[in-house]
Amino acid sequence: MSSKQPAITARNLSKLFRSQKQKTFKEMLPALIGKGKKGVMDSFWALREVSFEIAKGESFAIIGPNGSGKSTLLKILAGVTQQTQGEFVVNGRIAPLLELGAGFHPDMTGRENIYLNSIILGSTKEETKKIIEDIIDFSEIREFIDQPVKNYSSGMYVRLAFAVAIHTQFDILLADEVLAVGDEKFQKKCLAKMEEFKARGKTIVLVTHNTKTVKEFCQRALYLRYGKEISCGEAEEVAARYLEDMA
Amino acid sequence: MSILTAFTLKQNRQLLWELTLREIRQRYKQSVLGYFWVILSPALQMVVMSFVFSFVFKLADVGVPYSIFLFSGLLPWTLFSTSLQAATGSLVSNAGLIRKIYFPREILVLSNILAKNIDFFLSTTVFIAMMFIFRIPVTFHVFWVIPILLIQNLLTYGIGLMLSAFNLFYRDIQYLINLILLLWMYLTPIMYSVSIFPEKYRWIFRFNPMAIFVNAYREVVLSGGWPNFTSLGLALFLSLVLLGVGFKIFKKLEGQFADVV
Repeated sequence: MSSKQPAITARNLSKLFRSQKQKTFKEMLPALIGKGKKGVMDSFWALREVSFEIAKGESFAIIGPNGSGKSTLLKILAGVTQQTQGEFVVNGRIAPLLELGAGFHPDMTGRENIYLNSIILGSTKEETKKIIEDIIDFSEIREFIDQPVKNYSSGMYVRLAFAVAIHTQFDILLADEVLAVGDEKFQKKCLAKMEEFKARGKTIVLVTHNTKTVKEFCQRALYLRYGKEISCGEAEEVAARYLEDMA
Repeated sequence: MSILTAFTLKQNRQLLWELTLREIRQRYKQSVLGYFWVILSPALQMVVMSFVFSFVFKLADVGVPYSIFLFSGLLPWTLFSTSLQAATGSLVSNAGLIRKIYFPREILVLSNILAKNIDFFLSTTVFIAMMFIFRIPVTFHVFWVIPILLIQNLLTYGIGLMLSAFNLFYRDIQYLINLILLLWMYLTPIMYSVSIFPEKYRWIFRFNPMAIFVNAYREVVLSGGWPNFTSLGLALFLSLVLLGVGFKIFKKLEGQFADVV
């Protein structure tokens, strides 16, 4: 791609999930200071030594069957959870579209929730004020915007959440299966928006099951299985390999 | 990650404020009296307890009308206990946010404490009215309330950080804290004055920061005197140590929050 600084560099990222089942209260305190008996806990590696580099402006897909560690990887990149081993560097501001409307409050109106969610996603109130009309337009629910979101249909809810998320200022978009929201018409709109971001040189990291999206939209892809990298490279090739395995 | 990041970054400040507002808004939705409950419930509690302790048990003379004596201790105690309970549950009740988006998690703990402080200010209106009704003389010493309240909040924040993090791993904490708060309340001179407490056990109050705060509030508001600076200094020291330790534990565990919530 280019010789510029990459948007994301990840080296040997690993994530060990520990189950607490066998931990008792009296074992908790020693575990805090790092002296806990780690052997007695149930654990599994959700991610094992995954390395990759995503260039600025690149559209990058992460594919794999359920439970392959895709979402875990995205969560690590978003800073929601911490890797057990390895390291990564992110250059630029991230917009995480992990789950839409996570910060929505049912009793607050659509408008109030736009402000709240936008600030949670890292914008300031002033920034939000400037773009609130665009957000409302994009969500197509202007007539309901001053009603509590608990009265919204699930489609309206997701549309509003998506509209807020994509209107934040960002350099890197982390999206987890979000292209599957709303009806067909809205999905087309979302895809068009993604194309627009791509054209504007934004970096997009997409977690998906849909190999069609991968082939059409992304330049490169990473294929994960049981937390391990199976292949990483040209989107077409990686998607083909994935389809082959799934068949 | 500094302990002050929640305040120094504009964006964090706004997030703190928005989450506080959300906390307040959601509480009394769909109730007829709405936010008026915040004022009503401590006032009613005060009336009932005044009746029990001044007519039924006939406590020794405390220098001012008993109801106002009681209320002056009950209000800051209610602030402490409700904010500590809310802080302890703050991470668990915001599981949805923690799993999806990163922001400094201590903002969740802080916003819960801040919301209870707003409740506290509203419920003091009844107290202020009572001060006028009973014609209690007020001096400039009343402004000492501000630093005392600040130290009290430091203490709450420090303990709240620890408990909220532990509560994610062991939900027992939120039940345990209710019990501890109940015992703690009886070991704090809220319903009684220090003078009726057996002398040989009074040392308890010297190491109970809430007792130090309650005594200090009463001294500056009801008696118009100086607070006891030695005790207050000790309470400040203890609060800062707990805050330092609490923050350190909180940040050490923060990376695992999303996995265990």
